Amino acid sequence: MPWPPKIFWVGLVLYYGFVAICWIGEATAGWNHIPLAVEVYAALLGTWIVPLIMSVIYFYFPEKAEEAGG
Amino acid sequence: MADVADPIVVGITVLYFLGVIAIGWYSRQKMKSATDYYVAGRQIGSVVNGLALESTYLSPASMLGLPAYIFILGYPFWWAMSAIIAGMPVATLLTAAAMRKYGPTSFADYYADRYNDQNLRWLVGIIVCFGAILYITLSIVGMGIFLLAILRFPYLYGVILGAIIVMIYVVFGGMIATSWNAAFQAVLMTIAAIIAAIGMINYFGGLGGFHEAVLTNNPKFFNTPSDPEPNHILAGTWLGVVGWFFVWHYGFATMPYTVVRFFTVMDMKTARRSIFWCTLFAGAFYLGLEIIGAGAKVMIEQAHPLVVSGEVKANALAVLKYYATNYGVGTPLDYSMVAAVEALQNPWILGVLAAGGLAIAMSTAAGWVMVVNVLVTRDWADMLLRSNFAKENPVLMARIVSVIFLAIGMVIAINPPGLVLDLSGWAFVVIIAALGPSLILGLWWKGATRTATWITAIVMFVLHLFAWLYAKLVVGHHAFFFLNPILGLPKTAIITPHQIWAVPVGFLLFIVISLLTKKPEEEVIDKYCVKLTEKL
Repeated sequence: MPWPPKIFWVGLVLYYGFVAICWIGEATAGWNHIPLAVEVYAALLGTWIVPLIMSVIYFYFPEKAEEAGG
Repeated sequence: MADVADPIVVGITVLYFLGVIAIGWYSRQKMKSATDYYVAGRQIGSVVNGLALESTYLSPASMLGLPAYIFILGYPFWWAMSAIIAGMPVATLLTAAAMRKYGPTSFADYYADRYNDQNLRWLVGIIVCFGAILYITLSIVGMGIFLLAILRFPYLYGVILGAIIVMIYVVFGGMIATSWNAAFQAVLMTIAAIIAAIGMINYFGGLGGFHEAVLTNNPKFFNTPSDPEPNHILAGTWLGVVGWFFVWHYGFATMPYTVVRFFTVMDMKTARRSIFWCTLFAGAFYLGLEIIGAGAKVMIEQAHPLVVSGEVKANALAVLKYYATNYGVGTPLDYSMVAAVEALQNPWILGVLAAGGLAIAMSTAAGWVMVVNVLVTRDWADMLLRSNFAKENPVLMARIVSVIFLAIGMVIAINPPGLVLDLSGWAFVVIIAALGPSLILGLWWKGATRTATWITAIVMFVLHLFAWLYAKLVVGHHAFFFLNPILGLPKTAIITPHQIWAVPVGFLLFIVISLLTKKPEEEVIDKYCVKLTEKL
């Protein structure tokens, strides 16, 4: 049966894990009420940096694998 | 409010129009075959394709609608926007790389080949044409609103001008012009959102001042469902927040106007890298929109010319109602983005916003036109109806189809029924629910069957349309779960934005029917499932 490469799951765990931690932090410790915190974790990291890291690992590792495989 | 636009704003807009027409004209010289017209000769590089993906995928619903959603729902809606951006890299290994490896010409090719049924071209085409007309209309309305609200250009002429300019470059240069123009448009719209957001932050003396101003203006803005008083009922439960998070998340991997862009690139490596560029620019764009959406209310109430002059009281909704009543088009919330930026009273920023707004609208309209002109010309007329005209004159026929779809969108956009614009939100989710399972599971599951493709597409299309309309017209809002009253619950008990439940139900239905029905031939599965997903 076809199965997505391991790196696909690493990216998913990275992003969904990050979102889950933020939501748990908001629900239990009120992170959303810390001045400028949401601008950092939801906007800068959640909307830009973490998805960007996913997009990098999704092209970098497959290319490395292609090079290694000739 | 001035009746005539600032000359700087007009100048920037005119330069933008000249730019897209010039790109269209130049692309015409590069076009030599039908493959060039349909898929840009598969010669588009990763940067251009990445930028084109951004501007095509993100429609005026992003630029006008998402800041408006933040304006209403508050901070929790930022997570919905985060999920839209994260959906881009998710598509890299889920569909994009495999689709480029396969290298089809039209969106329906994969369905017809994987399930070994040419008649699927009809089914896929009909559903896609529905979505295309709704989105082309929405985009043309967006052009008209930007030209009206920023340039004071009469709405009717704005709609006609916008549609004609898209027609010119799509007809001239097909996918080559669409790709290069979309890349140019992506840069413009991203710059527009970032500049406007920076202008807003500067107005409040920095990010700290901005945060404080938003909080003082609306103390509930940053509240989540865990706080005693959430900002709005639609984001007042974690189920609602999760619903908004997922509603557009998987669109990038399955929507026809993004999937076909992977057919235009040189190879799989370029397809994967193009998503990096798309995420880079789209993430920056959304970061800007999040700031603008959060600051819109306080910005309008403190600095909008209508408030400063005393013409309208210092209430953001009153200002937006003034726009909608005066212009007679759209809803008050359609103007939240424009009004917030107008409050900065900087013609350069407003000019770039006008160009950026037109850019996002035109690129989406062009992207959809390219999907349907290939479907109608190649799949329907040439392959299914065996039309000699389509076979001998594919580019001419594709051009005629492009003009027809843009003309339909333009005519509806002249006096757009509110329901038609709302339905573009329905169209997005229904395409994921009806056609997404057979695309994604067709690639990743050998058990996916032809019968499941037919039944899922038809059932989810009809069921989701019914549920969406029932929720909107009977229950009161498209985000209220349509079964709330039937289950004896208050109408707001379960919040399911755009009836998001349809996506998991569509996948479940597809799996169940596939398990009960006959699989396609082994060699077909091997070619279009196993081989395509190897070494991505």
